[in-house]
Amino acid sequence: MTQTPDAQFQGAQKYVLDPELASIVNISMKLEMPLLLKGEPGTGKTMLAHAIAETLSMPLIILNVKSSMKLVEALYQYDTLTRLNDSRFGDSTRDVSNIDDYIKMGKIGQAFCADERAVLLIDEIDKADTDFQDDMLDVLDQMQFDIIETDKTITARNRPVIIITSNAKKDLSDPFLGRCNFHHIAFPEPKMMRKIIRVHFPKIDNSLAENAISAFYAMRDIDGIEKKPATRELINWIRALNADPDFRAKDLVKGAMPFLGVLFKKSPDYERAKNLTGRRKLF
Amino acid sequence: MFLKFFYTLKDVGIPVSPTSFLTLQKALDQGLINSLDDFYTCARAVLVKSERYFDLYDQVFAHHFEGVPLPEDAGFEIDDMARAMLDEWLKNPKTMADALGVDEEKLNRMSPDELIEYFKKRLKDQDGRHDGGSKWIGTGGTSPVGHSGYHPGGMRVGGESRNKSAVKVANERRYKDYSTKGPLTQAKIGEALKRLRNMRPAGPKDVINVDETIRETMKNAGEIELVFDRAMKDRLKVILAIDNGGWSMDPYIHVVQTLFDYARSQFKEVKTYFFHNTIYDYLWEDSSRYKKPKNIMEFSRLDPETRLVIVGDASMAPYELMAHDGSIHITERSGRPSIEQLKFLQDTFAHSVWLNPVSESMWGYTHTIMAISKIFPMYELSLDGLENAVTKLMEKA
Repeated sequence: MTQTPDAQFQGAQKYVLDPELASIVNISMKLEMPLLLKGEPGTGKTMLAHAIAETLSMPLIILNVKSSMKLVEALYQYDTLTRLNDSRFGDSTRDVSNIDDYIKMGKIGQAFCADERAVLLIDEIDKADTDFQDDMLDVLDQMQFDIIETDKTITARNRPVIIITSNAKKDLSDPFLGRCNFHHIAFPEPKMMRKIIRVHFPKIDNSLAENAISAFYAMRDIDGIEKKPATRELINWIRALNADPDFRAKDLVKGAMPFLGVLFKKSPDYERAKNLTGRRKLF
Repeated sequence: MFLKFFYTLKDVGIPVSPTSFLTLQKALDQGLINSLDDFYTCARAVLVKSERYFDLYDQVFAHHFEGVPLPEDAGFEIDDMARAMLDEWLKNPKTMADALGVDEEKLNRMSPDELIEYFKKRLKDQDGRHDGGSKWIGTGGTSPVGHSGYHPGGMRVGGESRNKSAVKVANERRYKDYSTKGPLTQAKIGEALKRLRNMRPAGPKDVINVDETIRETMKNAGEIELVFDRAMKDRLKVILAIDNGGWSMDPYIHVVQTLFDYARSQFKEVKTYFFHNTIYDYLWEDSSRYKKPKNIMEFSRLDPETRLVIVGDASMAPYELMAHDGSIHITERSGRPSIEQLKFLQDTFAHSVWLNPVSESMWGYTHTIMAISKIFPMYELSLDGLENAVTKLMEKA
């Protein structure tokens, strides 16, 4: 292993780390177990993997799970077509009789074959069906898989740090859960949110940050909102406010809400928020 | 180490496994855990695999390490309190209404079920936000339903900063919001439902068919001929209508929830609606049946290939099914009796079944079950019944 075993994760430049989460990440790395993260969309599940890769300077390999995905695709691919093509035209440097030349590693395969320890992010595992999930965990547990075409076994050179995210409300299957550690990222409290905003906008005007954050939490509290705006939306919103030369921070206190579309992505939500803020302006 | 803690977790109903306990021991062995705070986070990440149990975990942790009493039946806290409130209400409506700060008249008009729902909602409300004093049932003493009598840990509201001892954090019970449902693991229902699939080629022809390509290439004397196919996609749409009202369905809620959970995970397009006893003019998208009504006449615009699955005990007074004004809701007086509406639904969706949690041997004793089973193919909500229902749903019309 090129990485020292004592490498500790302590947060990255653009990521404010909850101390609780930090110790969970570190424990999972030491126990060599995958870490399953759940939580509202936009609470930084995916960002965490980026942050870990950045601080521990490991390569990051992302497997975006799709609903139609088969496990084999994540492990390796046997490129029949190229081989067929080569056998017809024979103008490549590849050896047609050597199947190994036509095996391409998938994301999990890449993480196993990497020269140094890598961070493997398996994003939105809940999209795939349960068989996929269980089979994948077998592979991650054993840290090896077989390539059927060549009858070879690929074993991980360095056990990757595995982060799995899930948006699902429902639980994943029991065997799956048994093999990983679990954390649920709660929505950040205002205090935490202030820190996050500071990290993303080091030069932000104090009153703007304060007003934007309090307006943001007020908006989240509007009843009957289907998709509550999350951290990601707030950051984009502040970016938008910053970019607008006509905008002044104290307008927010008066109830003016520009760029609502950045916060609310569903039209009923947008209408509702707009109506409410419109009414407040009358006072 | 911490064997007792482990078994307490198990006793309150958190699905903890011995393997994960061993993992925790490994972590302890390697010296990864150096303080109670570490232990709190670590043990939770390793042992507890769903945020639904975080709250229970917090309670057990506080109990084990600081002796905070454990609620008798931790899972049913809210229900218990709501029920206690109902009792109190029956004894003395006036005081109760005053305590809640609502109109006594309004509560009077509610049925016991609605009342319980309403109380539950208020209790949950309380837990989420605790801003002013006016809105809520105080823990002080003026209210008939203060917390100390029933659940000492129940109503604590946190709000301090994050840097404090694990016991305090645990006591704060930050995860209470997530612990609304009990455990549901009946993988067999999932197995039965898996067959409810309709894979069809759809979309652009962008998937290469390797076998065909090789065959065509050979036919072509080695000149490569590529063959493309459409990708297979599950095109099945499912509407699930659940009877969630009334005491009569109460014993079956567990089974229905399981079914519902699996349906959601299994199908890409599943819409769930709720009704009480039988269907009149509306189905509701929200389980409390008052926010989002959907007129069933609109269903005629949907794809007739949609599979309609109705879950209900089909047991009610005959007039509720047959009379023109059978509905208990004043807004549902289109003049069409429920039985007509059911026929309409059956006409609209050629593939439909009714799943009945009542044991099949009892059906003959209830008039309305017999009447409804003449309209919809009815199956018992058991594994066998489910299998048969799925077979029926996948039949070619």
